[in-house]
Amino acid sequence: MLNEVYLMSSLPSLSFNQTPPMALEEFRNMAKSELSARSFKVLDQVSMRDMVGKGRKTKLKSLSKMHSGLLKDISEIRNSRTEKRQASLAHLPAAVLELNPLDREMQIIQWQWENLDAIVSGKSFTLTEVIIYKLKLQSLFRMHSFSNERGEQVLDSVVNPHNKKED
Amino acid sequence: MASLKIKYTKTERARQKKILKVSERMLPLFEAMEKSLMATILSISEKIEEIRAAIEKNRRAVKPWLDVMGDEWVDVSQFISVNKTITHPVDVTGIRVQQFERVDFNEIPVNEVTPLWVDDALIHMREQLQLLAEIKCLEEQIKLLEEELLDVRARVKLFENRRIPNAKTAIRNIGQKLQDDERLTIATAKVVKTSAVKR
Repeated sequence: MLNEVYLMSSLPSLSFNQTPPMALEEFRNMAKSELSARSFKVLDQVSMRDMVGKGRKTKLKSLSKMHSGLLKDISEIRNSRTEKRQASLAHLPAAVLELNPLDREMQIIQWQWENLDAIVSGKSFTLTEVIIYKLKLQSLFRMHSFSNERGEQVLDSVVNPHNKKED
Repeated sequence: MASLKIKYTKTERARQKKILKVSERMLPLFEAMEKSLMATILSISEKIEEIRAAIEKNRRAVKPWLDVMGDEWVDVSQFISVNKTITHPVDVTGIRVQQFERVDFNEIPVNEVTPLWVDDALIHMREQLQLLAEIKCLEEQIKLLEEELLDVRARVKLFENRRIPNAKTAIRNIGQKLQDDERLTIATAKVVKTSAVKR
């Protein structure tokens, strides 16, 4: 418990859509030095990116629930597009249906962020809080990767692959 | 023209007249072909411009959400790539060219964990790749038509500047020479006749 207290006290606070205040590797090293080997193993297994693969193995059922809810809604949006009907969302705000892909992705991340906040509520200085911190930090890095320049490069690499090779 | 070697005979004049007749009949055909090729090339160029405008329009439509394609969690390029462009041969102004039909894509379907934006990006990429492939096909058509146009222009120039003027000159020269010969023959005959009368 004390380890978690010390770790969480030494970490910078995170707010939605801010520039990541620290590198993921730096966080990992800090967590490794402060947490017990068992706790660190649990932390290391959880990742926002591989939520389906590993999240379900964690004891954080609320996390798995949040993610499966998200996947259900995404699946519903995809099905509604194929079937050309209005999507009926159970978890995500209906506004996501009207937004462009960037704003929709940001809205989804914000929804995840708010859910992470709800999960961690009342669990200060616990391993859960450390895990949620990691997931939020990963989300910040993901949001930070949404850049016009990088997006243009990715699009060009698919649409004009020969031009890229010539460069 | 000075180097033009012709026989000053009636047969040669007849041959030159035939060349002139054929050339004067062929020239309008080649000129029409030249015009037709130029019009076709122009219309294909306009089509290319239209497609470029559509590509630009698509790019502008995507610009507001282009940032999301930078998502470090997804490598969108693994979902789509061009396998081959399907075309079929058609005759354009008498030239066999390849007409764009569609693009055959290598596609990996999105799975449940793939972010939603990938679906939209793939729709956009598919459309852009189709349009770019069509442009490539049309540019190839223009290349072939331009080669043919050069050939036709060379023929028009050949008829306009060499064959027809040469044949006309040859016919005129042969005519003059034959007339001169005829006059000389008559004059000689007259001289011979006068001498014979005197004797």
